Amino acid sequence: MRDARATPLLAARDVQKSYGATHVLRGVDFTLRAGEIHALLGGNGAGKSTLIRILTGKIPRDAGEITTASHRRPGTDPVIAVVHQELALLPNLTVAENIGIVHGRRVFGLHSPARQAQIAFDALRVLDADLATRALHLPASGLSLHEAQIVEIARALSIGAEVLLLDEPTANLTAQETALFFGVLRKLVADQGIAIVFVSHRMKEIRQLCDRCTILRDGRSVVEDRSLSDLSDAEIVAQMGQSDRREPVAATRAQMSDQRDVVLAGPDGAEIALAAGTILGLAGAPTGPMALITALTGGARHPQWRITAEGMPSSFSSPGTAVKHGIGYISGDRAGKGVLADLPILDNVMAARRIRQGRHVIHAKELVDCAALVGSLKLKAASLHDLPRTLSGGNQQKLLVARWLGLPLRVLVLEEPTRGVDIGTKRDIYGLIRQMAATGAIVIWWSTENAELLELCDRIFAFDTQGRPAGDLSADRFTEEGIAERTGMAA
Amino acid sequence: MSDTTRDSPAESALQARPPAIWTGYRTEIAILLAIIVLMLSVGAFVPQALSGGNFRNILQAAAPLIIMSLGVLLVVLTGGIDLSVGSVFSLTGMVVALAMDQGAGALGATALGLAVGLTFGAINGALVTLVGLAPFVVTLITYAVAGSLAFIVTNGRSMPIGAPDYWLINSGQIIPGLRNHILYCIVLMVLIEFALRKLVVGRWFYAVGTSAPAARLLGIPVQRTRFAAYVISGLLASFAGIVTVSYILNAEAMAGASLMLQAIAAVVIGGASLAGGTGSAIGAVLGALMITCIQNAVNLIGVNSFWQGSVTGMAILIAVLIDRFGKADRT
Repeated sequence: MRDARATPLLAARDVQKSYGATHVLRGVDFTLRAGEIHALLGGNGAGKSTLIRILTGKIPRDAGEITTASHRRPGTDPVIAVVHQELALLPNLTVAENIGIVHGRRVFGLHSPARQAQIAFDALRVLDADLATRALHLPASGLSLHEAQIVEIARALSIGAEVLLLDEPTANLTAQETALFFGVLRKLVADQGIAIVFVSHRMKEIRQLCDRCTILRDGRSVVEDRSLSDLSDAEIVAQMGQSDRREPVAATRAQMSDQRDVVLAGPDGAEIALAAGTILGLAGAPTGPMALITALTGGARHPQWRITAEGMPSSFSSPGTAVKHGIGYISGDRAGKGVLADLPILDNVMAARRIRQGRHVIHAKELVDCAALVGSLKLKAASLHDLPRTLSGGNQQKLLVARWLGLPLRVLVLEEPTRGVDIGTKRDIYGLIRQMAATGAIVIWWSTENAELLELCDRIFAFDTQGRPAGDLSADRFTEEGIAERTGMAA
Repeated sequence: MSDTTRDSPAESALQARPPAIWTGYRTEIAILLAIIVLMLSVGAFVPQALSGGNFRNILQAAAPLIIMSLGVLLVVLTGGIDLSVGSVFSLTGMVVALAMDQGAGALGATALGLAVGLTFGAINGALVTLVGLAPFVVTLITYAVAGSLAFIVTNGRSMPIGAPDYWLINSGQIIPGLRNHILYCIVLMVLIEFALRKLVVGRWFYAVGTSAPAARLLGIPVQRTRFAAYVISGLLASFAGIVTVSYILNAEAMAGASLMLQAIAAVVIGGASLAGGTGSAIGAVLGALMITCIQNAVNLIGVNSFWQGSVTGMAILIAVLIDRFGKADRT
């Protein structure tokens, strides 16, 4: 019995995969045992997502061996379930239906709502008893991201999943939700003996949650199945092939001017006066920052914030008018509102530029301009005529930044621009944002990663858990604890 | 869809120069080859298939479909669909004939005919953009309404065109040696292809079809682009109707009944995706030619003409499959 438990649930040896001439995986070893939370680390394009897709059988491997052994039902393969960054619930169905739908095996069997609800309730109760009683018959579209993730995991567990693959599950969660979520995961591993593969770029979370790690770099496993306590942060970053070089904290913070180039007036008499070139961080649960961001980018029907700035109306009727007035916006919803996935990189990068510069005809010179922009971001692509869907997540994010780079902007608004982006790319993006601020653009940066706000921003404006403005962080409270105190969320 | 394909460790040099022209037109070249192969193989059995007279027949038959397909293409690029084009085509013919019967001049009748397309295009566009109804539903409604109006205007009777000079619209030669219907097709194809490739406005049609929310945030006037697509589609459907009645010199309420599906088929064969965001004007034109050639081939070989639909269906299937497998390595 002991021996049986010691056999790995999943063991991959020398797995290889190429797409055309591109070797995505050049030899990956990966071992996963029951009862562990295993961090799968690597930079953008190291091959993490490809490995996950091979492990779940979504795509075939070119070479290598994968052995699997279920512990619950010896002699069979364990059920492996993936929870993606983009969630896979059916928005119009209720929570119970979303879970029950994977159980309807007999096509002509009778549909039993009561049985379905029972299955769903049992699966959910283990994870979040409150959610199970409260939301069972509500449509999935009304769930928060955190709740939706819990429902997805419940669905996976209800079909007997022994391995959970979580692809950046915390990217969209606030600090508080992350803490709740980690509690659930730890309980699962301890009580049910399942194994979790955790993909994240956030070192702190990896340390908090994971036991062991595998590091991929250029399609090879450079560190395989090591205990995380044996590795320092610096070693991990070095193994991923990245340098965690920090630029000296912007000197501008000391010499902040009192100019009021753009003044934002919000609910409860809140006011944010911004000098050109300021990098303003927004901290707190999504509601508050989003109200400000939608008002400023022309996305709000009834804006809660008013703008006072020379040559700008107090509110924008559409995103188009905001763009015309020099407001750049990078949405946090990269797939839905960010890249134009089926349009060449060239069009993606130049679209806003063409409108801002009032051009009607596409010049051949665009290719040169675009190549320069893309090159300065170190965006990896074979051709400007490639489609963004062939790019990795980090490169797609760079593409979004490239759209606004070098344009004469008054304000640049960014929502979680470093989500799903590796450390090297993060530093690149920080550098670009600083450059843009240096040219006089006001940068407004919403992030749920407090360390990032502290590193990059000149000022941080906080919102409380109800989304009400809670004011600027003073210089002496410019710490993670300071943000936590002001926003009412865990640090 | 992250961390996969395009990240070779060595940073690849970016191509700043445009790719060779044929790489952007692979679908179009494939259809052209398919058309040539089709006509050559028919010609092996029926030599007259390759005669100048037959080619003139094909072009004459294809012209209205080509014109209509170019309009439908613009709608499909934005991710919409226009089911009303066939009915608008028929109604336009009836209105032109009726206007002339009531004593209107050729010019006035033609303007009235184009107004039909403009009106229905604007109604489609307004219902889709301002009211936010689904394009399929909106154009299903206008398909039904325009279709029934085509019967109502003459109470179902077909109506001859009184003025024989009207024939010149289709068969005159503004450029000597080139019949007008061919000229229209060439001019429209070149114009639309140029606009789609080289004008900023043209790229908007693709951007809207790829992701309307993302396009909106970039400052692209999404609703105006959509509206324009439906208006142009209506106008071109009317124009196709005018070209047809000027050839036949007779208007019938059912004239465009089969054209709507053929136009959508032409656009799809030409490489457009009904999900929006892909397709080209040259592709749509070649798709329309392909469909007409299939009809011509079926007629010449002497097979029962009821087989036309099945053969066209197979051609759509083959085109879509080629498209699918051509892209398989990307997904």
